[in-house]
Amino acid sequence: MANLLLELALAIGAAGTLLAVVRLVKGPRAASRAVALDVLTLITMPMMAAYGLYAGRQIYLDVALVYGILSFLGVTALARYADRGV
Amino acid sequence: MKQIISIIAIVTIGFVLWQLVPIAMPSGFGAVTHHYVADGLKDNGGSNLVTSIVVNYRGFDTLGEVTVLFLSVSGAAFVLRRRSGLEVQEPVPASEIVQTGARMLFAPIVVFGAYIFVHGHLTPGGGFQGGAVIASGVLLLLLANRDRALPHGLLSWVESLSGFGFVLAGLAGLIVAGSFLANKGVLPLGQWNRLVSAGVIPIIYILIGLKVGSELSVLLDVMVHAAGDEEAN
Amino acid sequence: MNIVTWLNLVDLLVCLVVIISAIGAAVHRNLLAATVFAGVVSLAISFLFLRLAAPDVAMTEAAIGAGLSTVIFLIAVRRTEEVEGKDQ
Repeated sequence: MANLLLELALAIGAAGTLLAVVRLVKGPRAASRAVALDVLTLITMPMMAAYGLYAGRQIYLDVALVYGILSFLGVTALARYADRGV
Repeated sequence: MKQIISIIAIVTIGFVLWQLVPIAMPSGFGAVTHHYVADGLKDNGGSNLVTSIVVNYRGFDTLGEVTVLFLSVSGAAFVLRRRSGLEVQEPVPASEIVQTGARMLFAPIVVFGAYIFVHGHLTPGGGFQGGAVIASGVLLLLLANRDRALPHGLLSWVESLSGFGFVLAGLAGLIVAGSFLANKGVLPLGQWNRLVSAGVIPIIYILIGLKVGSELSVLLDVMVHAAGDEEAN
Repeated sequence: MNIVTWLNLVDLLVCLVVIISAIGAAVHRNLLAATVFAGVVSLAISFLFLRLAAPDVAMTEAAIGAGLSTVIFLIAVRRTEEVEGKDQ
């Protein structure tokens, strides 16, 4: 039962990534693409942690930790690019 | 018309690869692979089989990769060096949030990168990943303040001494245990799953982590300060 | 026929994200959007590596694709648009 709930959570997360990709493709402005990238990393990180719980391995959490710490750098760089600071 | 041809080419190549892959890939692995999987952890004492393959069994290839990284960063720094007469535009200063956040977050990112390459023989990760994380921390500083002066002398010394130390560790293996980059006889293997264990592997990974981190930091600094060619067109 | 679980659906959706973002990165005219698409490809591939039980490779892809690769592309685009003119 717990495994089934985790699988459903992962499937819902994957559907969320598809919606964020729709905004990434459609977005007329650069800011909408930056927001879509941020939402994608925000969904993918708990998906990695949930998969680590599902597979029963502690080592999968380290990858989620790397994304959690470094994901805001891409968005910050996009923002600095947009206001001509890079 | 060109786009239709390229789409047909991509579909054809994809179809051919799809049909050929079951024939071309071997159905079983060789004897060397079975030896690595069966004896890798016992021979090296760490918990990470990938680390013991990368640093011990295929350590010479890792030395080649470190050399290739050094050459590529040197080439990029040479091409993008500051020449007299070319100016970079004045950047817009970053907002208060970015500056404060960069100052507060630089230390945890560097500590996290050091955690990754020090525990390379226990958890997934290692020298290259930890070095990339440290370079990301330096990138955060450069995003907040474009004209921050990085200590180039210190970075050059760290990079050169780390590369030199890697070769010295290999030579120590040659002198003590009989083959280049050997692991068994040089340092004691220690207890399983402890920080000080697995022979010379943690030392090599610490050196690789420092080298990759300082190299990528220098590359980022050179790229951010590179001037666009205004006369060459 | 193997047992199909919900995780196979997750794999299918993430592969779809990879394909859409890769086509977008190759086709789009605006270079900033293409850079963002390349970052998304790196993110989704990192999750697929984790799904294929390779945490070392997933961590390498995460460490390089999350910050460094996107920023280097952005700096290159900014420096060359002064030569070529904007949006070319």
